[in-house]
Amino acid sequence: MSSRGASTGYDRHITIFSPEGRLYQVEYAFKAISNSGITSVGIRGKDSVVIVTQKKIPDKLLDPSTISHMFKLSPYVGCVMTGLIADARAQVTRARQEAAEFNYKFGYEIHTDMLAKRVANINQVYTQHAAMRPLGVSMILIGYDDERGPQLFKCDPAGYYVGYKATAAGAKQQEALNYLEKKLKKDPVLDFEETVELAINTLSSVLSADFKPTEIEVAIVTEADPKFRTLSTAEIEVHLQRIVEKD
Amino acid sequence: MSDRYSFSLTTFSPSGKLVQIEYALNAVAQGVTSIGIKATNGIVIATEKKTASPLIDDTSLEKVANVCPNIGIVYSGMGPDFRVLLAKARKAAQKYKRIYNEYPTTGMLVKDVASVMQEFTQSGGVRPFGVSLLIAGYDETGPVLYQVDPSGSYWAWKASAIGKNMINAKTFLEKRYNDDIEIEDAVHTSILTLKEGFEGQMTEHSIEIGIIGGGTTGFTEGKEQPLFRKLSPSEVRDYLANIS
Repeated sequence: MSSRGASTGYDRHITIFSPEGRLYQVEYAFKAISNSGITSVGIRGKDSVVIVTQKKIPDKLLDPSTISHMFKLSPYVGCVMTGLIADARAQVTRARQEAAEFNYKFGYEIHTDMLAKRVANINQVYTQHAAMRPLGVSMILIGYDDERGPQLFKCDPAGYYVGYKATAAGAKQQEALNYLEKKLKKDPVLDFEETVELAINTLSSVLSADFKPTEIEVAIVTEADPKFRTLSTAEIEVHLQRIVEKD
Repeated sequence: MSDRYSFSLTTFSPSGKLVQIEYALNAVAQGVTSIGIKATNGIVIATEKKTASPLIDDTSLEKVANVCPNIGIVYSGMGPDFRVLLAKARKAAQKYKRIYNEYPTTGMLVKDVASVMQEFTQSGGVRPFGVSLLIAGYDETGPVLYQVDPSGSYWAWKASAIGKNMINAKTFLEKRYNDDIEIEDAVHTSILTLKEGFEGQMTEHSIEIGIIGGGTTGFTEGKEQPLFRKLSPSEVRDYLANIS
């Protein structure tokens, strides 16, 4: 008769099972995302998808134009990364490679859900092979699917991915999700401007802050223009103005 | 990129147990319940689709999946691990078909999947899969239901449950199962079994049901045979209406 569930102690260092059947390294990776101090939000509207994230410049001497958590993965699919920026760049590079390879092999651009699945499957490998640690990032992907319309997916360190009507990641993830659940409870139909507004308002509300255009990043895909693009400071200013005028 | 660990992480404890496999089974026991029931003319497999938030688009999540036209699969445990096994199962089925120009029997496919799961309990630097699978198939030998565990061992069942509520569910099934059960009854029973441990409201969007047989036949490989298919939300709604 062996002792009840004694772990060797390594279950906290590499991705092997703990006695209760948990993977501590994966759970710690999630903590690393919350510790990054940034929150990101993604919302899927009727004919557009919007992602918003905080832009924090920790040092005045840094060049703000080089600091971004929004990345284009292919002409029609983009993402916002939340968590450790180095891991984020590694995952983005790999995702770009996968998207380009797909286009080369099959002759058409990869769909959002397929790229999300590919990223998630790579994340799963890190949860099962001890030689590689899980990455400390959450990737929120957006894209416009010509058959299914606007798409929003999130991939996390556990290798889990699913499509969302709205989602959040980062430090204030839970508060943002609660806010979004309330706002989307009645299943409202959101046009492009309403979607951007809701995304920015979600961040404002959970962070109790009014943003200047340089303090947030916004990226969109719409039915009218399905190419992934980030909004310029001037465009963000327009949306912020409209929000202020509404109050 | 990866420096492979050259030693196995799943090793024997002094009492002769492989504790990593036991822990993997604990991970499965935390997963949502899944049911499988074999009838005389088909098989039904079903599971709860428990989404953590109303913000999730549940059409993007598929827990009951098909492996090849006559074999379906469902799991309890870690979703990401299931995706890997599902892809390997599908590939194995196609590999077989490429050589023999027919799909493998359920038993052969299960052997393939189970040996993959066993490899991960012995190879260097990897952990076992945190899922148990219920694989349902209909071939020349008739309908057959297998369960595969993280250790890689598998057995055929008349009816089984895996996941959180498996003990109660299996007791429930033992009472209600008889060898002459037909597919319609089996679907009905599987819904009742799921309901036993179900938290919250059971709707056509919160459960997934797949069946083989029961009149769903298709022309494949040059002959008419029962095919695996998932019940549409409206069909599930009808069944749910019948039980209340």
